[in-house]
Amino acid sequence: MTGRCGVVVAHGRLADGLLSALSRVAGEQDSLWALSNEGLTGADLEARITSILTDRCAGRDAYLLSDMEGGSCGQACRRLLAKGTVKAILYGVNLPLLVEFVFLQDESFERFVTAAVEKGRRSLGVHA
Amino acid sequence: MSVVLFRVDERLIHGQVVVGWARKLRPRRIVVVDDALAEDELEQSIYRTGIPEGIDADFWSEREAVRALPAVLKSSERVFVLTADLATMAHLTLEVEGIQEVNVGCLHHGDGRRVLPYVRLDEGDERLIDEMSDRGVRVVARDVPSSAPTQLGAQARG
Repeated sequence: MTGRCGVVVAHGRLADGLLSALSRVAGEQDSLWALSNEGLTGADLEARITSILTDRCAGRDAYLLSDMEGGSCGQACRRLLAKGTVKAILYGVNLPLLVEFVFLQDESFERFVTAAVEKGRRSLGVHA
Repeated sequence: MSVVLFRVDERLIHGQVVVGWARKLRPRRIVVVDDALAEDELEQSIYRTGIPEGIDADFWSEREAVRALPAVLKSSERVFVLTADLATMAHLTLEVEGIQEVNVGCLHHGDGRRVLPYVRLDEGDERLIDEMSDRGVRVVARDVPSSAPTQLGAQARG
């Protein structure tokens, strides 16, 4: 098991905010970093993601976590997946999904992605 | 006019377009005019993932757009027409009659003058905007409908 790391790519300050929240509930992490698309072209965004992964994620499996499937963040992620830069993209990211990302480090790829996304999905609901 | 938005935006189909503008203007179809994209199925599939249900997308070359847009303009279908750069849109306004207003969204590229947080324009861009203005096309920067519009071009600069 080589471990996993990833970049949360999102609009505005969402990625920073999510990782700030994650650090409050799960402690400081050395496996996830935040990136905003603010003011960046698609090519700039891809270059920043690649740079973060090259500098900090060497030797581990790299993932991208985007706020939406589409949009400029999701599109940059898809291009990097097509280039083989990352192993998978988890989109529609929320705090419960990130907690799973951190705590499922030792699970197999299939169990990890299925469990993380399912946790994120089951965390949506309504109390009225 | 059935084309409800002509927009220049380097990100093409993205959040501001499919959330901000599409929720307000309810297009049935998004037409992207871009020669490279018209030939690239992988890139098309990446852009299609951002499109809400109920909206179709087409990817046309400039040549196809010049041929097909007049009929689209006369039809009753609500359509967005997007280009990634000002040159392509300026070409459309030259070749296709009836384009009255062009919306400018994200143009972050290059080292041009920062006109708005989301718009940088170099001399070539300013020239293209002036050309469109001279043809009677209003060129207005507005990233999302809730933002204030900013008219671009020599007339707006005074």
